[in-house]
Amino acid sequence: MAKSKRRMSEKQAGYLMVFPALLIILVIAIWPVVRSFWISLYDVRLNDPTKSQIHSAYGIDMERYANGLPLLKSNIANEKKQVEAPAAGELDAVLQSVLAVDKELNQDPKFTDRYTQVDDLLNNMQPVPDDVKFLDAEQVQAQKLKDTLQDAEKKVLALSNDKQLKTENVLGIVRGLEGSVIEPNFVGLAYYKQYLTDSRMWASLGNTVLFTVLSVVCELVLGLWIAVLINKQFIGRGLVRAAVLIPWAIPTVISALMWKFMYDGQNGILAHVFWKIGLISDPGVLLTTKWGAMFSTIFADVWKTTPFMALLLFAGLQTIPESLYEAAEVDGATKRQQFFRITLPMLKTSILVALLFRTLDAFRVFDLVYVLTGGGPANSTETISIYAYKTMFAQMNFGAGSALSVLVFLCVALISMGYIKILGADLIGENSGK
Amino acid sequence: MKGWKKVTTAGLVTMMAVTMVGCSSNNTADNNKSTDTGSKDEKVKLVFARGKDTTAASNHIVEEFNKTHPNIQVELREMPSDTGQSHDQYVTMFSAKSSEIDVFDLDVIWPAEFAQAGYLLPLDRFIQQDSINMNDYIQGAVQAGNFNGQQWTMPKFIDTGLLFYRTDLVKEVPKTWDDLIAQAKATKGQGGTQFGYLMQAKQYEGLVCNFVEFAAAYGGKILDDKGQVVINNPGTVKGLKKMIEVVKSDFVPSNITTFTETESATAFQEGQSAFIRNWPYQFAAANDTKQSKIAGKVALAPLPAGDAGSAATLGGWLSGINKNSKHPKEAWEFLKYLTGKEGQKITAVDGGSAPTLLPEYDDADVQKASPLFANKDFVNGISKAVPRPTSPQYPKISDIMQIEISKAIAGQETAEEAVQNMDAKMKEVVK
Repeated sequence: MAKSKRRMSEKQAGYLMVFPALLIILVIAIWPVVRSFWISLYDVRLNDPTKSQIHSAYGIDMERYANGLPLLKSNIANEKKQVEAPAAGELDAVLQSVLAVDKELNQDPKFTDRYTQVDDLLNNMQPVPDDVKFLDAEQVQAQKLKDTLQDAEKKVLALSNDKQLKTENVLGIVRGLEGSVIEPNFVGLAYYKQYLTDSRMWASLGNTVLFTVLSVVCELVLGLWIAVLINKQFIGRGLVRAAVLIPWAIPTVISALMWKFMYDGQNGILAHVFWKIGLISDPGVLLTTKWGAMFSTIFADVWKTTPFMALLLFAGLQTIPESLYEAAEVDGATKRQQFFRITLPMLKTSILVALLFRTLDAFRVFDLVYVLTGGGPANSTETISIYAYKTMFAQMNFGAGSALSVLVFLCVALISMGYIKILGADLIGENSGK
Repeated sequence: MKGWKKVTTAGLVTMMAVTMVGCSSNNTADNNKSTDTGSKDEKVKLVFARGKDTTAASNHIVEEFNKTHPNIQVELREMPSDTGQSHDQYVTMFSAKSSEIDVFDLDVIWPAEFAQAGYLLPLDRFIQQDSINMNDYIQGAVQAGNFNGQQWTMPKFIDTGLLFYRTDLVKEVPKTWDDLIAQAKATKGQGGTQFGYLMQAKQYEGLVCNFVEFAAAYGGKILDDKGQVVINNPGTVKGLKKMIEVVKSDFVPSNITTFTETESATAFQEGQSAFIRNWPYQFAAANDTKQSKIAGKVALAPLPAGDAGSAATLGGWLSGINKNSKHPKEAWEFLKYLTGKEGQKITAVDGGSAPTLLPEYDDADVQKASPLFANKDFVNGISKAVPRPTSPQYPKISDIMQIEISKAIAGQETAEEAVQNMDAKMKEVVK
């Protein structure tokens, strides 16, 4: 009994010791993914005031309300002075109907308090914090406010269409007030359904896969070659080993800009060289055609990350014991046989690890494409990250953008699971052999 | 993407948390301070952001303002020349409730979206306090900054597509697009030029402007007065075909589909082409001996006409105040100066851009700055101008047009297909 108790506490102590690490992993790795997924279930758009956040219940945006109501009063008063009697009467009726609902809302002391609080903040030109800004409301109340405002909009619109109003201000303010009614914006998996049938999503996914496969294969072959090369004994080896790393050490945005200048159809040196040696028909095609642009991006990526691949493989090469090669030499194996029979099998784990890193990296490619082509020409180099970025930041559609990033996450998770399965089997196999 | 998203989310969250904490704790401090800033003469620092300015105007305005307002110190921050990229950077900053920028320039298509998102401080109160007469401004530009009955921005300058040409190479100004094509072919290679015509054809907002000009010149229309999609008409198709003809011709640079304003202006100022389509600032920039090899040899004209006459995209820039600015009052002082008499005069004289403040056109220095500003027809034309419609959905419409036009001029689809695709996709957005 006592023994098991001590054991329990030992176990607990163990958990206690890994707890900080678990917490860090949870905060920096898992929480953002869960959060993204959560957002992707809601119709969140920054350019729509009623959907600028996740709302799971009905409510009223007090900042907008407190801003709009006095404006409505003053503008209707203004407008009434300038228009004919029947229109003035209608405007008055509109104002009365809105004020009636306002009165109803004010029967709740919470509403009145909050209104005063927000109004004070606004008068002092201070920002209204989010927890003060949104007030939960009954569905019936919110619906009633919305219906009244929509009704008011229809009436004002009719007046405006009949040219009975002097300005469009009242109409605009009523529309603005409508934005203060918050409705739940849960959409469930609608975005995922939409994207799975979206041809642009599949096209960008296709571009991403093409980019990933081609660049990673080129990097593997070149990286392996460089790794074998710098593993040899020669004069100035240290210098070469350091120099190889330079492309990798330059920030991607900088090197992408550098490549952009070199690929430029007018003044780019590389475009000129390719054209002179007959590789391309015109210096302009590199960044203006689909295949030219795809080639340019892959070429720049290969240049940049081959050193990283080489470094990982080089580390792997150093762990292969020299005695194996000596034995092969004695047995009369050629260099070629040594490479395929000793180097490659011994390097398998390193290669898989390097491939895993690079595939995931290439799949998430953003900065290089963003700077070099911006996804163009005609979206032919748009990767899925670029698509998600455009959806989120150019169109302010955070819900849809989050759904896209979750899809990227799923793809990446699938790829890593695939690798880890091969790799894991390999590692376990090795361990059990020992 | 996953990692990037993670980093940004984490970054945004920490940034938000920090700024929110910063805000709430600063507010009380700020209040105490603001009551006695006047007596202590503390300098208030403001940041003014705008897209890349190739002229000296912005620096000049900031210098002058800092000289005349000793208690405020304005710092200029340049954003990318690609308006789409600027837009995205603003969105990132403002949705994190950042206060790093106080006053900033907005493309005429942004105010509705930014006002909806709560990035802008409404200006009505300030305008009333300082009794600024909004009727002195070009009404279209004022309207562009008005959304849901409130004024969110002040008009800064108006932009319109124009044809600039080299007076030493061009004898007769081309009247129609076909004239232009013939002359561009003929002048290519003369006087050290390599091309005949320059435009903006990268997949970005400028491509939409160029397209709209071609389409409208041939009687095409994108949206009608009620905001409904009417893009699928013969005029649009014809305009797009003419645009494809120009882009595919041998008198434009072979990589024209990577050109924004900056690239085309550079090539023009290097003396590489006889013609260019650009915004009014090109006149000041091309006559600036510091950056141009063709100073004094440049003139301007309306864009060539199609079957339905000449059409120019009306753009323009407005200025507004970040809602989370720590110094809204001082920011207003700068905004008032920037879009008022002094600021607009500098923008016109040094920057070559057309003022939105109508009395400026009577100013002798302004009239001297560009042949445009002394031209009564031009002034009458733009004072009636209505810029592109303001809709919070505009970025999505623009994105659709950019992709399809880009495909059409790259030869991936025909003009008819592109127009049909735009029609279908835009109708999904504008219901």
